[in-house]
Amino acid sequence: MKQKEKIRWQFAGVLGLALVSGLLAYPKVFSYLPIPNAGQVEQKLKVNLGLDLQGGIHLEYAADTSQVPAGKKAEALQAALSVVERRVNAFGVGESVIQLSKSGSEDRIIVELPGVKDIEEAKKMLKETPFLEFRESNAEALSGKITQANDDSKKQAEEILVRAKNGEDFATLAKTYSQDPGSKDKGGDLGFAKKGMFVPEFDAVIFRDDFQSGTVYPELVESQFGWHIIKKIEERGEGDAREVHTAHILFPKRSMDTVSDSVKYKATGLSGKNLKSAAVDYQSQGFGTPQVSLQFDAEGAKLFADITKRNVGKQVAIFLDGEIVSAPTVQNEIPDGRAVITGNFTLAEVKDLVRRLNEGALPVPITLVGQQSIDASLGDSALKQSLFAGFIGLLAVSVFMILYYRFLGFGAVFALLIYSAMLLAIFRLSGYTPFPITLTLSGIAGFILSIGIAVDANVLIFERTREELSYGKTVAKSLEEGFNRAWPSIRDGHVSTLITTVVLTILGTGFVKGFAVILALGVLLSLFTAVVLVHTWLRFVVGDWAEGHKTLLVAPKRAPEAEEGESRNIESGIKNGKKDPPVKKKKSKHKKR
Amino acid sequence: MIDIIQKRKYTYWFSGVLAALSIAAIAVFGLRLGLDFNGGTMIEVRFAKTPAPQVSEIQGALATLDLRSLTVQATGDNGAIIRFLASDDTVNGQVLDELKKTDADLSVLRTDFIGASVSGDIRKNAIWGTLLSVVAIAAYIAFAFRKVSFPIGSWEYGWGAVIALAHDLLITTGFFALFGKFLGVEVGVPFIAALLTILGYSVNDTIVVYDRIRENLLRSRTKSDFETVVNRSVNETMSRSINTSLTVLIVLAAVAVFGGEGVRWFSVALLLGVTFGTYSSIFVASALLVSRYRMRER
Repeated sequence: MKQKEKIRWQFAGVLGLALVSGLLAYPKVFSYLPIPNAGQVEQKLKVNLGLDLQGGIHLEYAADTSQVPAGKKAEALQAALSVVERRVNAFGVGESVIQLSKSGSEDRIIVELPGVKDIEEAKKMLKETPFLEFRESNAEALSGKITQANDDSKKQAEEILVRAKNGEDFATLAKTYSQDPGSKDKGGDLGFAKKGMFVPEFDAVIFRDDFQSGTVYPELVESQFGWHIIKKIEERGEGDAREVHTAHILFPKRSMDTVSDSVKYKATGLSGKNLKSAAVDYQSQGFGTPQVSLQFDAEGAKLFADITKRNVGKQVAIFLDGEIVSAPTVQNEIPDGRAVITGNFTLAEVKDLVRRLNEGALPVPITLVGQQSIDASLGDSALKQSLFAGFIGLLAVSVFMILYYRFLGFGAVFALLIYSAMLLAIFRLSGYTPFPITLTLSGIAGFILSIGIAVDANVLIFERTREELSYGKTVAKSLEEGFNRAWPSIRDGHVSTLITTVVLTILGTGFVKGFAVILALGVLLSLFTAVVLVHTWLRFVVGDWAEGHKTLLVAPKRAPEAEEGESRNIESGIKNGKKDPPVKKKKSKHKKR
Repeated sequence: MIDIIQKRKYTYWFSGVLAALSIAAIAVFGLRLGLDFNGGTMIEVRFAKTPAPQVSEIQGALATLDLRSLTVQATGDNGAIIRFLASDDTVNGQVLDELKKTDADLSVLRTDFIGASVSGDIRKNAIWGTLLSVVAIAAYIAFAFRKVSFPIGSWEYGWGAVIALAHDLLITTGFFALFGKFLGVEVGVPFIAALLTILGYSVNDTIVVYDRIRENLLRSRTKSDFETVVNRSVNETMSRSINTSLTVLIVLAAVAVFGGEGVRWFSVALLLGVTFGTYSSIFVASALLVSRYRMRER
């Protein structure tokens, strides 16, 4: 019969699927088969274990894109990503995960290094990725500011001088207004000093013979540090041994020299992201101080040409990780994108710098905002425990299904085993796709949970079947009805679970994502195995013999009370007792593990 | 046939008391929030020398660093777990250095550091995730049951399910307030994941019952009392509901008992949620439908 043949083919398909899944789930078998590249295949088919199962490090960095011009942010982040990648690969970690992520307005880089033991070492290595910048002088803007600041300072000094001369307590004024950190808390007290201890302008005043002890010098004294209000407290000694005890209030004078480097120079947009390569270069100054020669990419070359053109005769500063490394004076415009960093470098320093620059200079600075590390031994025991739990779970569910749903239960268990094998096979095969699946502890939990859910579908079907049987239908018909009627419930139930897994996947981080993805996969896959596979198997195996052994199939169910006036298909009354005592469980064709 | 719907008064009392107790537990004990939500650092070390440095010695070593909310806990494994609200990574480095001074050969088993911005994210995501899931599920149910607008609207089905779900989540959270207070169990991202999973899964059960109600309503030619139809539906689906939950509970129990420390409380949360979810699907969700119907009738 055509129908029977079709069923036979379908069943054969199921068996084939089981076989393939089993193979893929245990690729060790491959090495016994005479296929070429067996070893490689086995390698590619390895299950990717997550950090919490093999031990490793998870690092999360925030990338500071505030200095990057708006349109270039994505580009800069990508560049940073590839730099970190190069660094990680240089560290020699296989199967590392490096990705960008976004949270709110902050851009993050996530680095996962499985199998790495020393987290401090790893962090240091990553941090070493230098942030290279070229900056030009901010002098014009600054000098105006400096002059203004100095004017204000002097004005304030004059005001306080008046107050000091009027007899206000000097010490209090010093504590409040002096900006000499060494003395202000002591009321500006400088202790006894001989000539020559202070700068000449200071000395010239305090050693004046007409400067009385206990008075405040009536004018501001200007030195390289700024403006001083000086009070002489007392003096002692004669001639060379003469010492004067003074106190002062300092109002600082700023100049370009006192301004910090990072303020003195402003960003130009030329940074590590434009660096094509760096090399050690020996200046043609004979034995030469070793230098670093840089080659920029096309865009960098252009930027550099503009910068040098603008700054001929001025200094251009090179910053590494926020500290100035060298500030050469530009001789002329440099159009070819080559630059040289000279400084007091030893050869070792230069080589190190070149290595770091080549391995990658970060276009944006990064700070560590989160880390997690799992020791490999913890991971190992977690893996073993969870696998064991999964095994127990599978076993328990199988026992339950067989006890309660008897022969039908066997079908469910059979499908369950295939399901597990198929899911495992999918994990392994994902290594070939651009979306390799990483198995984490939560992933295993998701896997185990999905087993319970997979079996649910079968429960629904079998319960429905029981009901149909209790109305007196034939076994075959009851089964079909069971599958058909249960389908809407199965579908709706699984969809609602899927909805939450989708939400979890989108919003979740490591633990949650791993769990949700695998649960989702499992739910989808189980729709196939629990429904289609079981259906095929049952249709194949359940034949006319079953009619006489209904109780072999499933425990009978009390028929629900009929509603008045309703048309229901009640054929014969069913006795709730057993018809024939079940002889033995029929040997079934499923694979037992 | 059990008079579940007719005796729904008892259901409401039982659930009401549980819910009230849960709210009380959460209000009084609070949830013990872990690193994920508070931010901070947790370092687990194993000392090489025996006897291992005492808790007080470790605290002394770290006293100079001015750490906030520092707690030190000895573990059975000749080790210690040190927790504090960190500001940044350099502080962590200093802590490690001080620890190394007490025992140069110690091994660091675990360092978890969640900066403030990351934990802020996690908090935000947890709230959004829950809200989103609830809304999505309610919408889905309303959509799936759109054809059954009589005698109560399809949105009522959604509400019934959502209230039952909220009840499940509330009680589970109440339990974890207790666990937090008396067993020191911390609530972090896994807990939220468990809650969301409970949301998604427990609705299964409710749908099974609603499905049957829908089927019986569509079938019933006579204007049978809505209450009777619902009660019959619940009875008919009871063994189904219990068994589907049972299969999940079995596997979860296996994980809770045999699985590692990392997933233990996660599976306990799921266990509680699924158990109460089943209870609420059978007793609460359908009772709510009938009550709503009664309210409308007045």
